[in-house]
Amino acid sequence: MGTSLLETFLLVLTLYSLLATAGVSIYGIVARPSITKKIISLTILGDSLNVLAIFVGFRVFSVPPVLLEHDTNSAGLIEFSRTAVDPLPQALVLTAIVIGLAVNFFLIFLALQIYRLYGTLDSRKIRELRG
Amino acid sequence: MRKYLVLASIVLGVSALAYATTYLGALGPIGSDTRQLAKLFLMHTYNPEFPELTAMSPEAVTSIVWDFRGVDTLYETVVFYMAIVAALAIYRGVGYSAIRGAGLSVIVRVVTRILIPMNIAIAVSIAAHGYLAPGGGFQAGAALAVISVLLAVVFSASSFGKLGISLARAVILWTAGLLAIAAVVFAPVAFSAVTGVRAFLMQNYVKLDSPFAFAIHIYGQQVSGTPTWFNLAEFLAVSFGFFVIFMLLSLREDVVREQLGESRGH
Repeated sequence: MGTSLLETFLLVLTLYSLLATAGVSIYGIVARPSITKKIISLTILGDSLNVLAIFVGFRVFSVPPVLLEHDTNSAGLIEFSRTAVDPLPQALVLTAIVIGLAVNFFLIFLALQIYRLYGTLDSRKIRELRG
Repeated sequence: MRKYLVLASIVLGVSALAYATTYLGALGPIGSDTRQLAKLFLMHTYNPEFPELTAMSPEAVTSIVWDFRGVDTLYETVVFYMAIVAALAIYRGVGYSAIRGAGLSVIVRVVTRILIPMNIAIAVSIAAHGYLAPGGGFQAGAALAVISVLLAVVFSASSFGKLGISLARAVILWTAGLLAIAAVVFAPVAFSAVTGVRAFLMQNYVKLDSPFAFAIHIYGQQVSGTPTWFNLAEFLAVSFGFFVIFMLLSLREDVVREQLGESRGH
């Protein structure tokens, strides 16, 4: 199934937007001193990469990967497999979301503990306090 | 200077990725052809003609999550488990009963009282139909966990105690969910040990060398073998896992500091 010029333009635009968002969030993680902002940037990075994974599985003019007729014969299944979006990125993203959430929870609790111990979430000040 | 170096390297990295994905086809065919692996999963998600290969679930994502790549999901559950254990370890020694609060206005409270039963119904529906339609245990658990946030924000954190939801009870229900997942994982092996019929861990439907299969129909109603039971167990584990997390996060910071200071002797 081919894609028109407009569809290609929109797909490329989406792809570049996702890459740019990922780039900005990496900047937030690496360059911002606030631990809160680092965590927020990490969640944005995770979400933009998850959307990128879904984007990889996307098909223009496709149907969701849910079989609606259970008595479908082989011909129906072949048609379904030809027209449905790729379910694997969706499944992997589901796993990634849960793991990302677990990591975020862990980081939030660590940040809370850091604030309790050092009284700040500025990584520069924490480095000085440690020394 | 360091800031500009970071910026320049990120711009360079993003540009390289954009070039690789657009001109070198790094992501494969985008928006057009379906990949062979996707076709394989879609062909066998619900295909009684090939019983050794199918997951017998019409929802392809659920088939992948709980059958084709089920071990992935099992370890994902372990990661989530570890995060909650870490949170509980950080908050060890903090009692929940010390919290008091007033909550929001009566209008918000009444609306929330109406919303909570609907929320429960939707969450159970998402979990129970996960094998059939988009949804599943994790999504349902996340939907139910909204209640814990609503309770903490609208009725104040003290409402958990009034409703009989203690941290210990939430942990018990969360653990029950995890044990239910383990029970579904080990059920085929237990069946094999009792009957002598060959079966494997996490086995859903018949395999070439094993006739063991979970029921696909119960009283005429289609279920989908392990995905259905995994979804329900995961629903319990995730929803009460979230309850534990949000109950801990809703604690007042001054109370936590005071209690942590007392329990750790500083």
